[in-house]
Amino acid sequence: MRALRRVWTLAAKDLRVEGRSLEALVPSGSFGLLVVLVLGLTQGTEPDRAPAVLWVALALAAVLLVERTTEREGEEGTLEALLLYPGSREDLFWGRWLALVVLLLALGLVMGAAQVVLFGVRLGLGWPQLVATGLLAACGLAAVGVLLSALMVNVRGGHLLMPLLLLPTGLPVLLAGIRLTEAALTSGAPGPWIGVLVVFDALFLLVGPPLFAAVVEG
Amino acid sequence: MLTGPPVVAEGLGRRFGRVVALRGVSFVVPAGSCLLLAGPNGAGKTTLLRILATALRPTEGRARVCGRDVVREADRVREVCAYLGSSSGVYGALSGRENLHFAADMAGRPRAAADRWLERVGLVPVAHRPAATYSLGMRRRLSLARVGLLEPAVLLADEPFVGLDEAGVGLVRELVDEVRRRGGGVVLATHDWDRAQPLGDRVLLLRDGRPQTEGACAAASAGGLR
Repeated sequence: MRALRRVWTLAAKDLRVEGRSLEALVPSGSFGLLVVLVLGLTQGTEPDRAPAVLWVALALAAVLLVERTTEREGEEGTLEALLLYPGSREDLFWGRWLALVVLLLALGLVMGAAQVVLFGVRLGLGWPQLVATGLLAACGLAAVGVLLSALMVNVRGGHLLMPLLLLPTGLPVLLAGIRLTEAALTSGAPGPWIGVLVVFDALFLLVGPPLFAAVVEG
Repeated sequence: MLTGPPVVAEGLGRRFGRVVALRGVSFVVPAGSCLLLAGPNGAGKTTLLRILATALRPTEGRARVCGRDVVREADRVREVCAYLGSSSGVYGALSGRENLHFAADMAGRPRAAADRWLERVGLVPVAHRPAATYSLGMRRRLSLARVGLLEPAVLLADEPFVGLDEAGVGLVRELVDEVRRRGGGVVLATHDWDRAQPLGDRVLLLRDGRPQTEGACAAASAGGLR
């Protein structure tokens, strides 16, 4: 019970800090929208291109989002203070993960709206599948992001590692996201891709917390 | 419930790659006492405190806080000790009150304790303001309150007087006295010998990561510790 309270406290704090400053969502969202715009203008704005553009923009924006939220936690010694509160450090993983899932979903909503406007995408009956895809993808990317952020804080120039590690590690999420979005927009079959997301999430949510706790040990 | 002396270090050491930051440090902090750590910059004082606080793992030796091993029982060590570091550890986007409520919630302490400490450190009139608008001294007071509300059995303080006015220094003294009265222990690293000496029972001088001398505070002079 106390662990759950710590997780909720930490997630609420992260979201409150972001809600007041918007210093992670605004730059990452702006960058994502810019990627959507550039890809749309250079590759064409036919609706069948929208899924790939959406997920590439989302992945790049997610890198910025994770980087910024991690940097912020290191300022003023707040990360060290956080690590030294009584209790398990795995709670810290879950708290940060929960907040990051919410922020990634917010980012996805903004990017999705841009697709509707720029690519003329019509959701139709495929929206429940899109929601499920977004939720599963956010859970997996957030788990990888929190884990990598723990690596970043203990390595000099660690912020350079984030895109180098997050993008290749998150590649299954990117591919599954594109295929599932295509299927949702064309009322096609999802194939094995939901399974790919579920396995990815299960893996990183299982190994993430203990690995995070081990990595943040000095 | 305390088991054994508040702090025991045996041959404690830490390497960063090939650099030896700390080596062969042994001491005991008996219940109700305060050990001062002295020595020039780079002597290993902060490294030693961070090991005891479980922020850093030792690469040699071992240490116990209230009978709990700082490596094998790190989670349980954090239940009884608090680290007052040189950074404030407060969130600029949150108000002073929100910062302390967050600390209380994370530590499983009542929010009323946070409110009491807010009053005690004199920040009630600015409690609603974001901590980013606070002066250095105010952030240090907030940090002191964040540590104080934990009611630790062991207080580990790194340069606790920096940025504080005389009233703030008085608050540090009160916190140290409270921990001692509860039968806990304090390890305090400082260059401010004049302010620290009245608080300490013994002093350990470190140089280049190695212990030089340990003795009673009353007998030590500022000159001899540099």
